[in-house]
Amino acid sequence: MGSVVEIAPLTRLEGHGRVRVYREGCRVERVELQLVDSPRLFEALLLDKSFAEVPEIICRICALCSTVHKVTALLAVEDAFGVEVSEVTALTRDLMLQAGMIQDHALHLYCLVLPDLLGVRGVAELARVAPELLKTGLAVKKAGNDILETAGGRLIHPVNIRLGGLGRSLTSRELTRLKDGLLKVLPAVQEAHRLFSTPFPFPELPVPDFLALQPSDSPLEARLCRMGDGASFPLRDYRHHIEETVVGHSHAKLSRVQGKEATVGALARLNLNPDLEPGAGALFASHKRELVGKDMRGNNVAQAIEMCHATERALHLIDRLTELGPRREEPVAPTVRAATGCAACEAPRGVLIHSYSFDAQGICTTADVITPTALNQGALARDLLALARGMEGEETSRMTTALERLIRCYDPCISCSVHVLPL
Amino acid sequence: MKLAIAGLTACSGCQLTLLNCEDELPELLARCELVYFPLAESGNVLEVQFDAALVEGAVSTPKDLELLFKLRNASTHLVAYGTCALFGGVAAMNNGLNTRQELLQSVFGTGGCLPESFAPAPLANFVSVDAAVTGCPPEKHEIVEMVAALAAGTLPPARHYPVCTECRSRENLCLLLEKRQLCLGPVVQGGCNARCPATGIVCEGCRGPVREANVAQELELLLERGFGKDEIERRMSRFKPEWDYGQRR
Repeated sequence: MGSVVEIAPLTRLEGHGRVRVYREGCRVERVELQLVDSPRLFEALLLDKSFAEVPEIICRICALCSTVHKVTALLAVEDAFGVEVSEVTALTRDLMLQAGMIQDHALHLYCLVLPDLLGVRGVAELARVAPELLKTGLAVKKAGNDILETAGGRLIHPVNIRLGGLGRSLTSRELTRLKDGLLKVLPAVQEAHRLFSTPFPFPELPVPDFLALQPSDSPLEARLCRMGDGASFPLRDYRHHIEETVVGHSHAKLSRVQGKEATVGALARLNLNPDLEPGAGALFASHKRELVGKDMRGNNVAQAIEMCHATERALHLIDRLTELGPRREEPVAPTVRAATGCAACEAPRGVLIHSYSFDAQGICTTADVITPTALNQGALARDLLALARGMEGEETSRMTTALERLIRCYDPCISCSVHVLPL
Repeated sequence: MKLAIAGLTACSGCQLTLLNCEDELPELLARCELVYFPLAESGNVLEVQFDAALVEGAVSTPKDLELLFKLRNASTHLVAYGTCALFGGVAAMNNGLNTRQELLQSVFGTGGCLPESFAPAPLANFVSVDAAVTGCPPEKHEIVEMVAALAAGTLPPARHYPVCTECRSRENLCLLLEKRQLCLGPVVQGGCNARCPATGIVCEGCRGPVREANVAQELELLLERGFGKDEIERRMSRFKPEWDYGQRR
């Protein structure tokens, strides 16, 4: 007789989702991944708004990644109007993206994944069972958050990064304080990979089709998307390569990249662009066998390695900003015209694309946002099915625990995944 | 203290702000029992009596409403946590302009596969609300203050002064009067220590109206400075769809 096992709500991830496993006896027929966050319809809300308002509004799509959403939106608007920002502005944005990577990976690893490794239900129990470990994680997260708060003017939905420039540049004193903060957590960051390379208690999964941005000279000007099989396409043509369909059981649309269920995020980046800072590079070398060409179970250790890379890179950026010194710069004014702009950044969870069209008055006429979680949705559903089938006959609770852990490997962010325009 | 922390239609930023209180978190966790907090805890239970529920987000789906009713019935105190819960927030900004159906079709197409959703509205439109923390996102000190007060069996005092009060005491340049920019400071609830004007950015109104806001006067002032009525109203409604513009309207 058929039965359905439901995991609802999915926990220790952002947004609302559930999983249903349909079984016939102990045979798994199908698995449904339902991303059921309430629809906020951002692309529709942005229509008829001025270009200046777009980045302020769209960053609210997601709290965890509000910085990378804001930066990507700014880049897309600047792309439309041909704005080029100063070195200080570009470096400050880059610094904030690194800080976003640090705090986001730290939150995910120490607060959401670590409870799995220690067999507890969440942060509250962690505080009792492993207070020192939690404190270490929170300290790393705080070092990233301090940068975001100081450079962004606000930790979530930052205000200081703006179109064409900055509200104000960082003072030497602030830069020194932020550097000290990073140096203090550097040893913990370099050690984190040990904790999160704990082997998974479930079977192997299909090997992913990775997708990542090809970095250009400046990390904020990626213009090419690359796939694992060597295929690549210009970002500007993404609509021809990423196909989206509405799925009945989910509010998020299913994205296919060149017909494939692509995987984005830390593991994809390390597989495609392992151009890392020295310390992180050494860590990557020691974990290559678990990461290169491997399945999503390696994503958490990949995040730990990236956390180290982002810390080292942030330190370099701070040094360069200190060298340049604080300066008062007027933001570059955009030449408003009818135009379309497009930009992409590597968000902590993977490729994030923003594209906007404006009329001659700078009023938004189309808005399109493709998020990492929407891109990962197909691969996650595929892996859930493979895992459920691989565990046929096992105790139901063991299977559901494994499915939840797999979902956490993907680190999905459902609240921002549910906003995709039909193409 | 048994605590529930839930998210409705929102970006999770308010819940995240609690996790961002890195210094205070261990102590906060020691003082409350997080019985329901899906963002950071597994094994959540709704079928108990809570001392307080912090609810983030606007109400925009039947599921939101169902969860809100459950939490209201189960909690001694229900706290509207953040601007969306309190005023509707960014999801509600077009409530007066488009029907929900139009917005849904614009995003999901007209193929008939539309999620169930109605115009996002504040919690207080559906249930009684005992206390509020405003902000998009809220200030850390305000959320720590709220949880600490709840744990002590009371509620923190509410603030009733505009962003301008704090902005002036920080001796910032006045963006509205001196730089003639579209700043909403005079009508917006303070408590953020004029965070944005202090970096040279206008107050975008993320904390919603201050009590007794003189909205008509703000509108007058901005019109005099040459801003269009549409632009002003669009900016005002970014976090709260309906303002009382008084006789100016």
